[in-house]
Amino acid sequence: MPVLKGKELRIVGFLCNWCSYGGADTAGVGRFTQPTDLRIIRVPCSGRIDPLFIIKTLMNGADGVLVSGCHPRDCHYAEGNFYARRRLEVLHRFLPILGFEPGRFEYTWVSASEGQRWQQVVTRFTEQIHKLGPAPKIAGPEASKTLRQMEAAL
Amino acid sequence: MKYQQELKDSIRKALPDLDVVIAWSSGFDPLHATPHFIRRDEDIDRLEIGPLCVHNLATYLPGLRGKKVGIVVKGCDSRSVIELLQENLIKREDVTIFGFPCTGVVDQTKVRKALGNAGRVDFCQVASQTLVVGAGGTEHKLRLSKVLADKCFSCQYPNALLADHFVGEKISPSVAEEEGYDDLAAFENMPLDERFAFWQKEMDRCIRCYACRNACPMCVCRDHCLAESRDPHWLSQEDNVRDKWMFQLIHAYHLAGRCTECGECQRACPMDIPLLLLKKKMNKEIKELFQYEAGVDPAATPPLLSFKMEEENIKEREW
Amino acid sequence: MKIGVFVCHCGSNIEGTVDTAAVAAAAREFPGVAFATDTMYTCSEPGQEEIVTAIKEQQLDGVVVASCTPRMHEQTFRRTVERAGLNRYLFEMANIREHVSWIGKDREANTNKAIDLVRMSAAKLLHNRPLLSKKFEINKRVLIIGGGVAGIQAALDCAEGGLQVVLVEKTSSIGGKMAKLDKTFPTVDCSSCILGPRMVDVAQHPNITLHAYSEIDEVSGYVGNFEVKVKKKATYVDWKKCTGCGVCMTKCPSRKATDYFNEGIGKTTAINIPFPQAIPKKAKIDADFCMKLQKGKCGICEKICPTGCIDYSQQDEYVTEKVGAIIAATGFDLFDWTVYGEYGAGRYPDVITSLQYERMLSASGPTGGHIKRPSDGREPKNVVFIQCVGSRDKSVGRPYCTGFCCMYTAKQAILTKDHLPESRSYVFYMDIRATGKNYDEFTRRAMEEYDAKYIRGRVSMIYPKGDRLLVRGADTLMGTQVELDADLVVLAVGAQAAAGANQLAEKLRISYDSYGFYMEGHPKLKPVETNTAGVYLAGSCQGPKDIPSSVSQGSAAAAKVLGLFSKDKLESDPQVSMVDIKRCIGCGKCMKTCPFGAIKEIDFRGMKKAEVIETICQGCGICTSTCPQGAVQLQHFTDNQILSEVNALCQF
Repeated sequence: MPVLKGKELRIVGFLCNWCSYGGADTAGVGRFTQPTDLRIIRVPCSGRIDPLFIIKTLMNGADGVLVSGCHPRDCHYAEGNFYARRRLEVLHRFLPILGFEPGRFEYTWVSASEGQRWQQVVTRFTEQIHKLGPAPKIAGPEASKTLRQMEAAL
Repeated sequence: MKYQQELKDSIRKALPDLDVVIAWSSGFDPLHATPHFIRRDEDIDRLEIGPLCVHNLATYLPGLRGKKVGIVVKGCDSRSVIELLQENLIKREDVTIFGFPCTGVVDQTKVRKALGNAGRVDFCQVASQTLVVGAGGTEHKLRLSKVLADKCFSCQYPNALLADHFVGEKISPSVAEEEGYDDLAAFENMPLDERFAFWQKEMDRCIRCYACRNACPMCVCRDHCLAESRDPHWLSQEDNVRDKWMFQLIHAYHLAGRCTECGECQRACPMDIPLLLLKKKMNKEIKELFQYEAGVDPAATPPLLSFKMEEENIKEREW
Repeated sequence: MKIGVFVCHCGSNIEGTVDTAAVAAAAREFPGVAFATDTMYTCSEPGQEEIVTAIKEQQLDGVVVASCTPRMHEQTFRRTVERAGLNRYLFEMANIREHVSWIGKDREANTNKAIDLVRMSAAKLLHNRPLLSKKFEINKRVLIIGGGVAGIQAALDCAEGGLQVVLVEKTSSIGGKMAKLDKTFPTVDCSSCILGPRMVDVAQHPNITLHAYSEIDEVSGYVGNFEVKVKKKATYVDWKKCTGCGVCMTKCPSRKATDYFNEGIGKTTAINIPFPQAIPKKAKIDADFCMKLQKGKCGICEKICPTGCIDYSQQDEYVTEKVGAIIAATGFDLFDWTVYGEYGAGRYPDVITSLQYERMLSASGPTGGHIKRPSDGREPKNVVFIQCVGSRDKSVGRPYCTGFCCMYTAKQAILTKDHLPESRSYVFYMDIRATGKNYDEFTRRAMEEYDAKYIRGRVSMIYPKGDRLLVRGADTLMGTQVELDADLVVLAVGAQAAAGANQLAEKLRISYDSYGFYMEGHPKLKPVETNTAGVYLAGSCQGPKDIPSSVSQGSAAAAKVLGLFSKDKLESDPQVSMVDIKRCIGCGKCMKTCPFGAIKEIDFRGMKKAEVIETICQGCGICTSTCPQGAVQLQHFTDNQILSEVNALCQF
């Protein structure tokens, strides 16, 4: 898998289309340099993020997962991030029982105008994951093999 | 059990208006109770209650939707009934609840370990904090405190919380509320890497039989469980730790804010995987965050299906 | 599926730090990818033609474009693939510019990341399905919030275009900030002479319903079908009967009410019409100062009102307006300059704001157009203007330039000389920003013809010296300290977001920046749109603007609404949730969490099931993450689509 050995870790971001994805765009437009580890998955709303996606991402071997949505009270869909906040907070507290360091998953709020803040969030989270190092891997066959079979089944 | 006759009388009175009453009777041997479906008057005589009545009969209720059903419940079972009512999965007017004070049920795994290879069970009696089992010609005396299920040692609701007919005297919980999560605290004292290793070892033993799911009264998806679905396609059908663990986490997450800690998942597991631990962790966090316990108030809204503009206990991440 | 991948160079924007040829080469190995190439400008005419040709020649049934953010060009490329006969949703974009090439210079890491993002998009595309829009009816009325010059322009343009307009204004008269101005730059023509007739047009236009002294209470619904609850605040005057004769004002004994219209220069009566040209010209009682409402004694206005319109028991009233589009034109407020200790923090009466000065200059203002020092009523000789008060100043959290202060300060310096030929104006400035048509010429006139002395530098201190003020500052061009004796100091106070702007934005579900100004859909290409369909912006609520820009935006927003309403039916976004009726167990959790009430319970062969009302669903997907068995799936963001992205990125 193309994770640059010794250079990058696998960090996945789930970003709300209206705020944080736009904030990441704003950071790009402003040429705010960021670490290259993060891969962003765009979702319509933080309320769309089933915590199980995050668990699945960690199970598949990601080293860190970052979720970012609109600031509370500022949801494009009025209430999505309120639901997200509860679900994500529960997940944040739940993950350690499984043996995942709590810092492997964080959630935060970044608006579309906050390019600089996005730069800080990404930089800080990437540093945090690098400090933790690669996540423990689950024993058994590589996920890629299973996933190929799953794809073939459809 | 001393209230048994009173319960039978009560059911006998109600039966003409009901399609079925779910209770327990003696099972394949005297040590095991089994769910008992009372449809006729004569079925009532075989009813038994006591520490062998391990099953949470609420599991059957969603499947009997539309019928007039009576159900006998322990305290923990009653919470499942309340949760099902709260989620509109059963109708209050369709269910007649018979409650009794429960002093705990046995953990058959503990009994099995205590008895060893004792042979065929001939009889079983409960006498003052002791379970007397006659097997292979010998009489085994097992202290109840050694063989009761773990959940009973943290039980806060020994009486049915909701009952149309309650037999016997209500009793108070045997443990203080704060002790309820001692076992979880002990687990959480382990370093993270040991926990990770622990679950891998436990999940490796899973045989994907889904007994945990089938026994769970709150697993209402039934034929449409994500475990076997391709759309959505969350899991492969492979026998690997990753997918088996993922399934348990799907289960735990689907129960977040709904699990009543009846422990059926763990009881039903033929591999004795400590599944309740995950659910207890979830419940503990939900209780701390939202002061909420599932299956207590039929009118409440589960915390993950609601929100507050300002959450008292969620600190916004500082970055 | 046969997927085509197009990796854009974007000139050197992407190619500079991403090896696009390598990305295309890697993409050829991904499942389903039949064709991959790199192109110079994918969004250009030849770039789009290349996609159309490839779809036809290679029989592609899905396209990935790796280029800029989908917020920029997703719509462009969707139309491109549609031109070639594909459904527009059989298209995915990988953002390798904003999220890759622009944020790092490491070519190896960037190329590798770009490959991952393309892999992710292609994996998702394999699960995409063609989606078709539904048509729905629209209510061709428009709500305009704010009756300043931008709102007035938008209202008149929409009304002229044949639309029914509902105009809601917070204060008791429309006119906004412009109504308070004496003259306007760079023509120095009378502000109320150009605005007044337009205000009258609003009052008289048969297509415009005006709710003055009203606020927005609740907004529900969606583009084409909004429902807005308007709170009509109690005026204690029955406006149906009030003729605006003003007799009440002459007799009201409570004469110390705050005069908001005159910016606190002078006082007004508890019952008042804010200014002679007010529209609607109706009286309202300021309850804070009314003796009858405060103490129960008085009642004079009730006794003398010739039409008997006074009603002390009046309550706030709520009306519901159904509209298809909303224009927010809520304007700005002045920065609270009293945070500046060096300017006296409000202790010296002869330090005033530019808008107060404007009221003083106005012939219909409280001083009748005479420039008088508030402290002793004397005519000033030396007037010192200080620019950039609450503008371009990080220390008070206002790093942005308000943009129009340079111009009005020049105008005020000119008017000062007109009013008081013996006076001298001094202007402390940072840079002169005079970028409009005839603007720079105007500031030059202030300096050259009207003898205003411009000093490039900041003021460090103002303190009293006798009955005058001593202004100490720096002249950075001369490199010297400057001390001036001033009779009057006018602060060019910057603009900030209007009070309550954030709360309104939350009701309208639009975003605002960290200063409270509303976010436009795109800084260049969608200046008056928001990211919420059917909600538009005009004027200073989006950022400080002078009058010509506000008017342009008012017209632009009106044009957008007229364009939207030119269709009889709107097409719904097919990215909505759908229920798999087999999987649904009718538990109703989705209905509980849907913020829009877009899911209803239906009876399907005696079983309870959920059903999505497609025109109401906004596509947030909360239901999808709520449904345990995954029976309700948000189209285009299904579990399988997101899982395929996760799986493409993480398989270790």
